[in-house]
Amino acid sequence: MPEQQVSPEQLKALQEKIKQMSPEELKEFQKKQCVFCQIVAGKIQSRKIFEDENVLAILDINPANPGHILLLTKEHYSIMPQLPDDEIAHVFMAAKSLSNSMLRGIEVQGTNIIVANGVAAGQRAQHFMAHIIPRKENDGINFVLPQNSMQQAEIEAVGNKLIAALGGTPKEAEKESKGINLDEISKILGAR
Amino acid sequence: MKAAKTACLVCQIIESKIPSKKIYEDELVMAVLDVNGAVPGHCFVMPKTHYPIIEQVPDKEIGKLFQVSNKISSAIFESLGAQGTSIFVANGIPAGQTVAHFTINVIPRKENDGVNLQWQPKQFSEEEISTVELKLKEHTKNIGYFEKEEKKPRAHAPKTRPFSEEEDEHFANQMRRLP
Repeated sequence: MPEQQVSPEQLKALQEKIKQMSPEELKEFQKKQCVFCQIVAGKIQSRKIFEDENVLAILDINPANPGHILLLTKEHYSIMPQLPDDEIAHVFMAAKSLSNSMLRGIEVQGTNIIVANGVAAGQRAQHFMAHIIPRKENDGINFVLPQNSMQQAEIEAVGNKLIAALGGTPKEAEKESKGINLDEISKILGAR
Repeated sequence: MKAAKTACLVCQIIESKIPSKKIYEDELVMAVLDVNGAVPGHCFVMPKTHYPIIEQVPDKEIGKLFQVSNKISSAIFESLGAQGTSIFVANGIPAGQTVAHFTINVIPRKENDGVNLQWQPKQFSEEEISTVELKLKEHTKNIGYFEKEEKKPRAHAPKTRPFSEEEDEHFANQMRRLP
């Protein structure tokens, strides 16, 4: 999206306006600003591959490979932690079906499913999406996941922090899972 | 399949025959930290049942696996001070799948952390894109019913095309080379 020229006064007025919005108004405001909400609403054209009540799958206009799908929630969520459990389940059941469709329909030998949360992970849009990328041998994509040998003590320490954040011992985590602090996470990710 | 399961590194982790740091467990799902993670806090989320590829994982378990992954991703933000998280799944060898047991990677991210999950956009002709679009739609038009609860008979059960025995064996061989 081309950046609009905004004077400092206009920016300040806008920030003031956003501050005074109710959560509902803010959500409406975000939707209006969001390219992907416009695509969901049909105001911006896209090549639709699949659609149901909750999700829309379109072809990425900047594909890693031909057939690269963006799977969007119809509802506007800026970041993945905002999605309720039933939406998460629905999105990835759809992702599985779309991956199967790729393997059968366009003669590829594999697929990647990728979600980027935060700029450091490569998230560019302020609308949650999953990428489903068809793969072939020697297709020029070079994902790097290095294998590092870590010290047992470090793994213990990191693991215990995660267990605590998940709400207790691994067995109990499900039952006692505490509410996550969305405000904190949103701040880290620069999403409101 | 039985032989493949015995050789499966992930099944051995789940059965505690190989030690790992468990961070989450319920009836269907287990999540662990691995000594060979890409960065500290790299979590592997996997079904307890041995499914080599995503196609074989029932919808209900897919839902649960990604719900757990999302919770772990949030826990990574809260407790490890990560600037981002990547959720990464590789289906098939060309996609980078190295173990014949469906696994979701949840990876804490920072700037310049040595992980690369980016791609260069490619250009294709209008004709190529339209052909791919039509072929995909031919297959996606049958999607529409997900098994959100327990298993029920499906009117449009998709034909499964699991890996052949040799492919499974190939995976097993690859796994034996892993430390």
